[in-house]
Amino acid sequence: MTTGASIVARGITKVYGSDSSAYHALGPIDLDIKPGEFVSLIGPSGCGKSTTLLLASGLEPVTQGSIEVDGKPLTKPITEVGIVFQDHLLLDFRTAMKNVMLQQEIRGLDKSVIQARAESLFERLNLKGAENRYPWQLSGGMRQRVSIARALVHDPSMLLMDEPFGALDAISRTQIRHDLEMLWLDTRKTVLFITHSIDEAVGLSDRVLVMSKGPGTIVEEIKIDLPRPRPAHLGEYPEFTKYANRIYSIFEKLGVYKFK
Amino acid sequence: MSAAFARIREPLLWFAGLLLLWELVVRVFALPTFVLPAPSNFLMRVVNEYPRFVTHGLITTRLIIYGFVAGAVPGLILAYLIANSRRCEMLLYPLVVFIQGLPKITLAPMMLVWFGYADFPKILLTALITFFPVLVDSVAGFKAADRRLFYLSRSMNASWFQTFRYIELPAAAPAIFSGFKTTIVIAVTVVIVVEWMNSNNGLGYIVLRAMDNKDTPLIFATLVVASAIGVALSYAMASLEKLLLPWRRK
Repeated sequence: MTTGASIVARGITKVYGSDSSAYHALGPIDLDIKPGEFVSLIGPSGCGKSTTLLLASGLEPVTQGSIEVDGKPLTKPITEVGIVFQDHLLLDFRTAMKNVMLQQEIRGLDKSVIQARAESLFERLNLKGAENRYPWQLSGGMRQRVSIARALVHDPSMLLMDEPFGALDAISRTQIRHDLEMLWLDTRKTVLFITHSIDEAVGLSDRVLVMSKGPGTIVEEIKIDLPRPRPAHLGEYPEFTKYANRIYSIFEKLGVYKFK
Repeated sequence: MSAAFARIREPLLWFAGLLLLWELVVRVFALPTFVLPAPSNFLMRVVNEYPRFVTHGLITTRLIIYGFVAGAVPGLILAYLIANSRRCEMLLYPLVVFIQGLPKITLAPMMLVWFGYADFPKILLTALITFFPVLVDSVAGFKAADRRLFYLSRSMNASWFQTFRYIELPAAAPAIFSGFKTTIVIAVTVVIVVEWMNSNNGLGYIVLRAMDNKDTPLIFATLVVASAIGVALSYAMASLEKLLLPWRRK
């Protein structure tokens, strides 16, 4: 099994467009992500969280700065990666299993190996019985589970998740958060996790990077020192509340919240 | 079978009722056949003269299919280019929108001038007319694919062809087929009109002869046959869609 990759970024920025219409979306920021670490990026909309993800995986080129993954300079999209977006982005013309097996078909991997891994992921993610259903026949939570399986089936070293649970109801979110944590504890992929939810960030991460916008920068780094696996009801840790409050107060200072 | 019949029973009854009303109007007001023939009259012509309709109907159907394919295939290819390349879009799309608005059917007499009596000018004009609706619907289809799917395919190190085959084409297929289904019916009309001006066979030619002979029932009989061809072709297209895109909800 492939273990997590390290990601080191120095002074990376992203400017979209050029001339007068140029938009400075991100940076400069630095990242130091250790192999197998679970890191969340949290911040208001438009603070460059998604951009950070795309830059860290080489899917979009940086405007300035440099990135090294596992000590090697990043010059093209890395393929040792799985991606989960907010909306599942499953192909609606393929069944759940065939969506996951897309990784095998496109990458030309050994079918029996990947098939076995897909089946075990379906089991781990409570997807048994959904193999031959089309995405429209699945609930939102199950679709997202299928896209997690698709992101892991080829055993990548890095998992990028862009608000993966953003569209789910609170009950599904809590369950899928736990299931993801258990999978991660077994596999120790490096995870970059984007969220708007303080609960999710504190509930899942080793480290939370709080971002602010215009242009996007990292304003604070919070190490989350809580035992794992973390419980469904996070409030039972007083420390959890402490971490959550700290993020709230950063948001207030940044003017993310304007309560009267 | 019975469920399918239950669904079309009411429309069928309506249709039969309208024909009956038509028959009554013609008989009660004693309309001359030349002005409006009764359904019983022209439907019997279809039955009695079916060998002729089969021969000429097949000629027309062949032209429809050739013309449609000759228009749809380049339409699809150009749609892919326009949807994937900013440059192609900027260069070609305004021209496409402009030409799409022109009544290209008026070129039918010119086809006679340029190419004479042959299949080629008929197929060419049909292709020219079917090309544009297929192109426009297919561009919309290719553009409908979520941009982030391309991040996904890039992360899988997918080749250009894999991205096309696994992601873009299936994603665009429903819109492409919806274009096909409307366009094949347009092609029926186009071929018949072209045959009016430029033919010595086909259904359009029968209509032309019927007008020369003031044989109004024959015109209506040909209309019935042409409609049947149109219905059959769009049904065939819908079946092809079902066969190729089994994942569609309904």
